[in-house]
Amino acid sequence: MPKMPSERKEEQYLKEREKFFEMLPKLNRRQFLKVAMASAAVALAKNQFPPHSFQLVEAVEAKQGKTEVKFRFAYISDTHLYERKLNERFVRAALKAVQDVNALDPQPDFVLFGGDLAQLGQPEELKLGKEILSELKAKVYMMVGEHDWYLDLGEKWMELFGQPWYSFDHKGVHFIVLNSVLVDDYWTETKMTPMERMKFMAQLDNPKGKPFTVGRGYGDVGKRQFEWLKQDLAKISKDTPIVVFSHSPLYKYYKPWNFWTDDAEEVQALLRPFKNVTVIHGHTHQPVFNKIGNINFYGMLSTAWPWPYAPTGLPKLTIKMNRADPFDQFDGCGDGTVEVLTNGKADKIYNLWSREPMKVSARYLESGGKEDVPPLPLDPSF
Amino acid sequence: MKGKFSFGVLMLLSVLLFLSGRVNITSAVEGDDSKKSDKKVITACDGETKLVLNDVKSNEVMTREKAQEVASMLLATYQQQKKYQATKFTRRDSLIWERELKAMIEEGYKWFHDPSLGTNGISCDMCHPDAADTHPETYPKFQVQLKKIALLRDMINWCIENPMEGKPLDESDPRLKAMEAYIIWARANQDVRPHAKILNPGKR
Amino acid sequence: MVVNIDEDKNKGQTMTMRRNVFYLILLFLGFLLSLTFITEKQAESNARVSYEVKIPLGIPRDIWEIFVPPDNPITPEKVELGRKLYFDKRLSVDNTVSCATCHDPKFAFTDGKKVSEGVKGQKGARNAPTVLNAMFYEEQFWDGRAKTLEEQAKQPIINPIEMGMPDHDAVVKKLKGIPEYVDAFKKVFGGEITIDRIAQAIAAFERTLLTGNSPFDRFIAGDQNAISESAKRGWQLFQGKARCITCHEFNRSNPFFTDNKYHNIGVAMNQEGFAELARKAELLVKEGKLDQRKLDELALNPAYSELGRFLVTFNPKDIGAFKTPTLRNVELTAPYMHDGSEATLLDVIEFYNRGGNENPNLSGEMRPLNLTDQEKQDLVEFLKSLTGEFPKDFPENK
Repeated sequence: MPKMPSERKEEQYLKEREKFFEMLPKLNRRQFLKVAMASAAVALAKNQFPPHSFQLVEAVEAKQGKTEVKFRFAYISDTHLYERKLNERFVRAALKAVQDVNALDPQPDFVLFGGDLAQLGQPEELKLGKEILSELKAKVYMMVGEHDWYLDLGEKWMELFGQPWYSFDHKGVHFIVLNSVLVDDYWTETKMTPMERMKFMAQLDNPKGKPFTVGRGYGDVGKRQFEWLKQDLAKISKDTPIVVFSHSPLYKYYKPWNFWTDDAEEVQALLRPFKNVTVIHGHTHQPVFNKIGNINFYGMLSTAWPWPYAPTGLPKLTIKMNRADPFDQFDGCGDGTVEVLTNGKADKIYNLWSREPMKVSARYLESGGKEDVPPLPLDPSF
Repeated sequence: MKGKFSFGVLMLLSVLLFLSGRVNITSAVEGDDSKKSDKKVITACDGETKLVLNDVKSNEVMTREKAQEVASMLLATYQQQKKYQATKFTRRDSLIWERELKAMIEEGYKWFHDPSLGTNGISCDMCHPDAADTHPETYPKFQVQLKKIALLRDMINWCIENPMEGKPLDESDPRLKAMEAYIIWARANQDVRPHAKILNPGKR
Repeated sequence: MVVNIDEDKNKGQTMTMRRNVFYLILLFLGFLLSLTFITEKQAESNARVSYEVKIPLGIPRDIWEIFVPPDNPITPEKVELGRKLYFDKRLSVDNTVSCATCHDPKFAFTDGKKVSEGVKGQKGARNAPTVLNAMFYEEQFWDGRAKTLEEQAKQPIINPIEMGMPDHDAVVKKLKGIPEYVDAFKKVFGGEITIDRIAQAIAAFERTLLTGNSPFDRFIAGDQNAISESAKRGWQLFQGKARCITCHEFNRSNPFFTDNKYHNIGVAMNQEGFAELARKAELLVKEGKLDQRKLDELALNPAYSELGRFLVTFNPKDIGAFKTPTLRNVELTAPYMHDGSEATLLDVIEFYNRGGNENPNLSGEMRPLNLTDQEKQDLVEFLKSLTGEFPKDFPENK
């Protein structure tokens, strides 16, 4: 009979305990006193198999503050809904995500929707999405994706969900939601119909496609957004932890598939003065994570289908999930949660539906991939 | 007496060996002074057939016409030596073949991106942009979803029936072959043909 | 051999030569000896297969041989002993239940009931799987908790709701009180009765319970007239639109209609309270809080046994997952599913047609199939073609 999770934890606990005692002689006096006081609490905790009983040593030596979880929020992203009578599967998957989030105990503080609610931006699709998400118990913050926007340049979206870019504060953390899928005008000259414009944008491997931006693109939408972003950031102190939600990754991963934001450096420059910045993005439909300068980036899962990893440009820190089984509509898909820590950083949990969940922590990213390495989210076999 | 004789033989052998090392054994080299002068040497893909060009320096980049001339000469030399005659084809032949291939691949590209093969709005490129993760080079293989040995077209049909919830195409359907052609071409990394720029992942 | 070393050089050389020859002869003898070892091993493996177990058409002989363990070779005496034990009600605590009670040859080695009944009329939670061709499963039981037939045989005997013996020592003691068994075990195993030997005998008997040569087997072997047109259409559906083959794997190298894996198709939802229990168990594992105490708490829930494979692996993916059973002889082994909840083959197909029962851990492979009535009938016809031949000398309850 294989070991129960608690038995495995016991083994891990004993290993960590050995390591702890090895480390003791190496501490200086001040550190040692801190550890000695903490050990009493650890001894008590021993009976309940806490998951991180001996991390106190590292916490003492770490320069940053405590790594307790301040609050959690959940995410659902990239549902790509068609009308129900055309495609039942994507609806089922979106409902599964809603059920997952509703079953979380305790409930998350809010839920972020990561963009691409509809597949072709049609009013029925957007309304269906709104209906599905209204089943969520927690509050929902919406973000727009290119599949939602380019049929009517955001008209229906703004009618249903309001402004595509905004910010809010929650428990001392400043959240910014962006419309990061603005592109140059490719439809006026070629006289495209709205659906042609949408389908042009919907094809991921479109060789003629235009790159996403935050501050550029058609008309003055981007310029206004960028101005607003500058002013919004000017209002907060450099110590405030920031979490940015964008649909496309705010860095340059793979241009042919628009896993890309063309003015990423400018946006990153705006965020550079801040101590703790986390970017949560959609669009890539896979576990992908990165760190550039002071910013940690986490990609969200899709509920509808997984994208393959791009042939080049994959961030070195990303640990890939292996290929999804096409027989299983949930494999490679899922939802997840983000834990915002008291030190202003954020950890991400990928709740992969047909696999073990995967937790990627800020510590993993900040240590350059050396500490707290998440295990490979392998599927046993299919 | 015995010892001195064997020693002499040994000496003679070593001298001979030393000399042979100096002799340059090359084949089909026009003139032996290739090493002394600064002339371009073109070697064919067999690694043996060589041409020393008396009128081209070793670091010179040839014009297209000159290069075509040299290539033809090299090919002729190769054929002469190996007693091998390639099938002759004209420029018109070449144009026909390329045009037909381009048409087939472009048709495959079209169906690959068309959700009407299924019934639920999903198209092949949704999981396989630029035919990623299709691995045509691994077929035939035991396809775990089919639980038997499959060829690429079997898997195309399986995908149409399963994730795309459509009706599988008949074995003789030209669309099936066109998609197979596109997938193999897209994953073969051969982008030397002129039309390749249109179908490949382009610049944004 | 004595060697005189203080002789002159020439004589010494001869002596060395003689010594070398001696060693060479020794080496050659050793080589000959080693050959006998090989022959012995071969003789053993021949013993494994020299017993005339008739392998029916459709099961490759080399595959059957792989599944006979080397430490339990099949001999006629062992099979006879195993057969006696299999039908012997004295292995149960009140002498009313034998293996054959729930795995009855008359019902294709099941019992025709929804769930099996053990001693004192107690009802279990499982539909009895057939013993026919069971030797080819990777693991035994619906949740795969036994790795071999031998291991499986030991468990029902001490299960309080099945055969009810208090422990294995009691079983051994009981049998030791029966002189025929004492003699038989001495003859077959050359020693005393132990629980392992009891299990080995029963398993050896079970390894002769093979069926094949079904109409479908003949069809695969090339006879186009072996099955009806409807069954042929059903076979195409089985591999295509109905999506059966991916779990009920069939090819000539694995002709048993099972992938030996575990899938949640939602049958567990027949039990009230399963969905909440499933969520609870999943959360416990994902938060690392599942220990023996919590497990015991969960066991109080009536839906506990529906957790299935999860109770063996503690992997949240296995919540409510059960083993893919073989489909050979499926026509004869009604009712179906691990809880016997589907009465007929058509019911089973309806179950799959609607995509199983929705539940938090439903396998992503399940989905509505939109089969027409004709297609459902074709599938039933196909499944009926999997009924194999029963040899004339098939065991009975003698």
